[in-house]
Amino acid sequence: MMHLTEEEMIGQVYGEGENAAAVERHLDACRQCTEAFAELQRDLSEVDRVAAPARDAHYGERVWAAIADSLPVYAVQKRRLWSSGLVKGLSYAAACALLVGCAFYAGRLWELKKQPTTAKVEQKAPQVKQPIPIVVVVLDDHLDRSERFLVELKHADMDSTAMASPMRDEARTLLAANRVCRKNVGQTDDPELTTALDHLDSLLADAANEPGGLNAKSIARLQDKMNSDGLLFEVRVLRSRISNHKLAGNNPAKGGTI
Amino acid sequence: MDKNDHAAIQAVLAGDKEAYGALVVRHSHIIFRVAFRITGNEADAEDVVQEAFLRGYRKLEGFESRSNFGTWIYRIAVHCALDKVKQRRGDETSRVGETNDPEQDQLQVADDAAGPDRLLLSGEIGSMQQTALQSLTATERTAFVLRHMEDRTTVEIGAALGIEPNAAKQAVFRAVQKMRRRLAPLRVAT
Repeated sequence: MMHLTEEEMIGQVYGEGENAAAVERHLDACRQCTEAFAELQRDLSEVDRVAAPARDAHYGERVWAAIADSLPVYAVQKRRLWSSGLVKGLSYAAACALLVGCAFYAGRLWELKKQPTTAKVEQKAPQVKQPIPIVVVVLDDHLDRSERFLVELKHADMDSTAMASPMRDEARTLLAANRVCRKNVGQTDDPELTTALDHLDSLLADAANEPGGLNAKSIARLQDKMNSDGLLFEVRVLRSRISNHKLAGNNPAKGGTI
Repeated sequence: MDKNDHAAIQAVLAGDKEAYGALVVRHSHIIFRVAFRITGNEADAEDVVQEAFLRGYRKLEGFESRSNFGTWIYRIAVHCALDKVKQRRGDETSRVGETNDPEQDQLQVADDAAGPDRLLLSGEIGSMQQTALQSLTATERTAFVLRHMEDRTTVEIGAALGIEPNAAKQAVFRAVQKMRRRLAPLRVAT
């Protein structure tokens, strides 16, 4: 039988043995250990509790009087409590709120990045800016300007070159507008208008792209072309018809964008 | 925690130094008792009491309101007493090894005590016990006093000494072993 060690018995005396129940059972069964344990208890009981010398009722006051002068006043402590308590707490709360805000904002950005591409296109489509200036061409006005150009061409002085350059510039402007009108008219079922604009396009193209600019010969050729097609007449009829529609309340303007 | 202690601490931290006086008056007797048991000297115990309350005042900012001021100042006093004993017995502490070897203990501890017959005849048993306590290292003596006389658990002793509970337990065991050997002649004589 293994006997108890002195450590085990000391632990048992002070009630801090690791296996008190087992020690107790062993002490019941082992006379040698029981005697040793009793001896230990007797030894420790003989060690008196050291009785401290008595101190009178005013002892505490004397201690306080002895140390009071050497103690500083916690004058700033009130402020420190304020700062370490409320302000510190508010600071933490503000920092937490900022952190939550940043996390929320980052989350929103992340969501936007994760959205399908189609949705992005739908959002951005209206914002796309056309690099080309938008020119609304009203067919009525176009025909009016074209008629004036054709009248001017019909009565052009073949010996004067002063009018040649402005006419070519006007022809180029009208050509661009005419192509827009042709494109829009092509979507309608109006063969008369389509044919007239085709003829006009051909003539304006010749006037605008005449190599070396307009001269007596090219003007004569353009006049022949205009007369053979009856273009001036066609334009006048069309302009009259559209003007009548306009007066009747219909929307005569057909235009587009360049 | 005692509401009065808590109120006094709040008042001190708010700038009312005199409020600390109430804490000193309330706890000084207990502090003196443990200081005397550890140092074994009345004058040293008086010094320890004052030093403990001075340290407590300086550390009051770090005192947690959930704690018990009595327990807190008690631990500070134990530290102060331990420092006092070490300071007084510095050479002796370094000479006495922390060992369980009985032969080594007997060789290391200086024995200035009188013989058992004389002690019994002159009624100086208490003095012999004091001598036995003095033979312990500062840590052993403090651990033994806290365990045997102050009824503190090894966990509390470890906290007061700043060591692990198991180390505190071992210190108590070593102290008891040494005390029994030192007091063995007294037992034979009786």
